[in-house]
Amino acid sequence: MIRERSDQELEVSIEEKNVDKPKLKKNRFKWYMLTPWLFALPAMIPLVIFWIYPMIRSFWISLTDWDYISPSYEIVGLENYIHLFQSSSFYQVLWNTLYFSLGTVIPTVFGGLLLAMLLVKNSKGFGIFRTILFSPWVTPTVAVAIVWSWIFEPETGLANWLLSLFQIEGLAWTSSQRWAMPAIIIVTIWKGLGWSMIFYLNALKKVPTDLYEAASVDGASGLRKFIHISLPLVSPTTFFLVIVSTVEAIQAYDQIQVMTQGGPAGSTRTLLYMYYQFAFEEFNMGRATALATILIIITVFLSLIQFVVSKKWVHYQ
Amino acid sequence: MTIRQLLTTTSKYVLLTIFSFMMFFPFLWMVVSSIKTKEEIWQFPPVWWPSEPQWGNFVEAWNMAPFGQYILNSVVTAVAIVLIQLINSAMIAYAFTQFRFKGRNILFGLILASYMLPVAATYVPSYVILADFHLLDSYEGIIISNAVSVFGIFLLRQGFLQVPKDVVDAAKIDGANHWRILWRIFFPLTLPSFVAFGLITFVQNYNNYLWPSLIIKSEDKMLITQGIQQFFMQEGGYGMQWPLIMAASTFVILPLLLLFLFAQKWFISGISDQGVKG
Repeated sequence: MIRERSDQELEVSIEEKNVDKPKLKKNRFKWYMLTPWLFALPAMIPLVIFWIYPMIRSFWISLTDWDYISPSYEIVGLENYIHLFQSSSFYQVLWNTLYFSLGTVIPTVFGGLLLAMLLVKNSKGFGIFRTILFSPWVTPTVAVAIVWSWIFEPETGLANWLLSLFQIEGLAWTSSQRWAMPAIIIVTIWKGLGWSMIFYLNALKKVPTDLYEAASVDGASGLRKFIHISLPLVSPTTFFLVIVSTVEAIQAYDQIQVMTQGGPAGSTRTLLYMYYQFAFEEFNMGRATALATILIIITVFLSLIQFVVSKKWVHYQ
Repeated sequence: MTIRQLLTTTSKYVLLTIFSFMMFFPFLWMVVSSIKTKEEIWQFPPVWWPSEPQWGNFVEAWNMAPFGQYILNSVVTAVAIVLIQLINSAMIAYAFTQFRFKGRNILFGLILASYMLPVAATYVPSYVILADFHLLDSYEGIIISNAVSVFGIFLLRQGFLQVPKDVVDAAKIDGANHWRILWRIFFPLTLPSFVAFGLITFVQNYNNYLWPSLIIKSEDKMLITQGIQQFFMQEGGYGMQWPLIMAASTFVILPLLLLFLFAQKWFISGISDQGVKG
């Protein structure tokens, strides 16, 4: 940091000495000034075309009644939004999204913390555990959702066999309105657990060991050390993971498409799934993009919380 | 080691073994199910190991759909995307870390903002853009629309920030231009970041389903994720050929597990964002 600043000052002072001020303004443009932009351009072009411009265009489409097939459309103002807010299916979808998000994020984050706590003090063979626990993350959601569909098979599936061990009658899982969502949630947790574990492992390793030693000298128990030392120190990680996995949960699609297609009776239809159906099954682009706007507002809101809180958080190293 | 410590360690091993077994079991069950006969698969309680493993199921499933073609399609598009993203992320990361220019902070803020935005929200307009360029149902469409990675920009920027300034200055004195400095100095020094980013991007694109499935419609151009989903839907229609479906899932999932096994260090360092080592 210090060196950087002094270099900057050096550059400025040289410029000031060589060129007097009015001239500096005239000759301001130099070809080398374009170099940074040349370096930025190859990433900026696709970013603008496929990220930023579509976001704006999406908002514009949401104000129309465009159906993708016909070339003309009419501007309908906020009608698409009003229609959404007046339809009961929208509220069901919102509820499903909330249910799915809470149902996956909380177990994923705390399960990850638990696994990391177990793994953090390296013993022999722990590398193998870490590998296994993380491995679901690298596999394609579509393919593993197919495998889980087999596990949740209502007649002879493994899940119902497990339940039968506890004398519980088998569930219909993905064909039942009540249990389809839990089935999808289980798959999603299974896939994401190792991912949050890695973040916690990293955070826990940075906790200075002398803190624990000092606490041990003071006679603190393992649980107390966890609550008063580990938990506060990894809180930025917890917070980061909660926000990022919520944003991810809101965008879940693959497992829903494979396991239930939003059914039965819309019980697993989330915001994103509804968006997909509006856009690419019904070609109701206006309504789909209105949903996209809501999706963006939710994630922007979450990101803002993340941004504000992470600035205030005191436990950063 | 005191008895207390011994107890803690033992219970840790026991718990970790149980959890690891639970996490890995779906994969094992997939393989076991794929070598059962049609009769065995429907037995309840489940058969734990088939009396005669039906290894032929793999051959049968493989020949039922052009899986080889699907996998090749996925690998080719994913590799192309990785190469493009590596190059343009490295360039913009270099611009962010090595230049002071007007608008740098705004530009970085813009990228920071798009990191959190849900990519799905861009699908409708992006689809229209691809249609305008006549890039629907083509690999070019998938590749071009995935040509930028905000994650990659962050990861490489993180790595580049740790390159010592003396090294860069020395190269400048030797008369190296920026392009040379980037590829001859930054690239080798931050190679771990590049490898981690490349591997993670490859896996993410190989596993990507929703967006490619909107773009690709022809059977022979399909990616593996689309292919396996279609296979699952079709076989589901005829009394569920679970052994064949599990066999197909095995050859979709297994290569990724193997890749991870050999390259796990890079995956984990990329995810925990460690950047340059040493």
